[in-house]
Amino acid sequence: MHDDPEQQQGITISRLLRNLPQEIRQPYDWTEFRRRARVRLDARRSVSVKKYAALAAVLVLVIVSIASWVRIGKAYVSVPVAGADVSDDDPPILVDNVDARADAAERWLASLPDEPVVVHVGTRAAVAGLEDRIAQVDDLLSAARVEGAQPARLSALEQQRVRLVNSLVQVRYAETLVAGSR
Amino acid sequence: MGKLVEIEIPEAVLRQACSGDEAAQVVIYTATAPATFALIRRLITNRAMAEDLFQDTMMALFQRLADFRGEAPFGAWLRQIAVSKCLMFLRSPWHRARLQLESDGGAEFASSALITPAPVVEGFDVEKALASLSPTARAVVWLYEVEGYSHEEIARSFGRTVSFSKSQVARAHVRLREWFEPSGGDRAVSEEIPSGDRQTCTTIQSNSKA
Repeated sequence: MHDDPEQQQGITISRLLRNLPQEIRQPYDWTEFRRRARVRLDARRSVSVKKYAALAAVLVLVIVSIASWVRIGKAYVSVPVAGADVSDDDPPILVDNVDARADAAERWLASLPDEPVVVHVGTRAAVAGLEDRIAQVDDLLSAARVEGAQPARLSALEQQRVRLVNSLVQVRYAETLVAGSR
Repeated sequence: MGKLVEIEIPEAVLRQACSGDEAAQVVIYTATAPATFALIRRLITNRAMAEDLFQDTMMALFQRLADFRGEAPFGAWLRQIAVSKCLMFLRSPWHRARLQLESDGGAEFASSALITPAPVVEGFDVEKALASLSPTARAVVWLYEVEGYSHEEIARSFGRTVSFSKSQVARAHVRLREWFEPSGGDRAVSEEIPSGDRQTCTTIQSNSKA
């Protein structure tokens, strides 16, 4: 069967190897084999259950993260159309550009009456607080421009103003929706 | 003492074992376990690892029993499972890392590698010589010389070329001869074999020459 010639002179390695015992007493009997098999199968099952549980947890986490991200993203960029009458039927528009969004938000705020139809003390306080802070930031911005402040400082103040205006938009929009639903 | 490949199990027993009859499964286990363990121990010298692989092999045997079609002897089918398990282990990165650690430790082979402390001096020496080979060379030479695998089959099993198998066998032969030939093996013989046993080795050599 083997195509190699038998090893030269001397001992025949093959014969010596073949003469080695072909059976060695097994390390344990049937009962122990069954016990070990059960332990192994349980371990495998437990590992696969843990693996699937971990996979499911990761999937849920990914789905929740994606859902939250989409929701937050939409909430952040949804701004009602400036100058238009706001009603329940008007969906908010999505504006990608930050500056354009800020302008649109300001125009929309300007179009609103000074006082909503229904005044809620909590929301009014929030609106007043936000308007005060926007006014303060405006003052700071004017002063900074006059003093020729660093562009980084100006940019930070502008970003803060945009954030405050966005918050104000959200609160006023909620007020408008509540008023419209009555 | 039968070779694993020659073991046959009656069809009725196989059918009963397939249907979950524990008594039949015990018959199969008792008939095949010693030869299976012997084969695994020849390929894997580490006893703990060999026991693990033996357990794996026997579990696979009962899990796949329904797949046995009877086209080859039952022992040959089981041998294929055992050899696959052993070769998978030999190819595993974990095993390679372990070998690296052992070689860093300077131990060429552990005394636990000796499988059968055979009463016959010849047998004892062959065990020792076999254990001195690298795991791959030992597996290749065993499959070729004892199990009757061809170089092509060995190459396929290891995912290597036929030349790999041939060179492994040739090198293993050279290494094994060193243990028995006074010309090349003085070092090995004087280091490993008690002086009282040297005469026996010479006798073996003379006999085989004859």
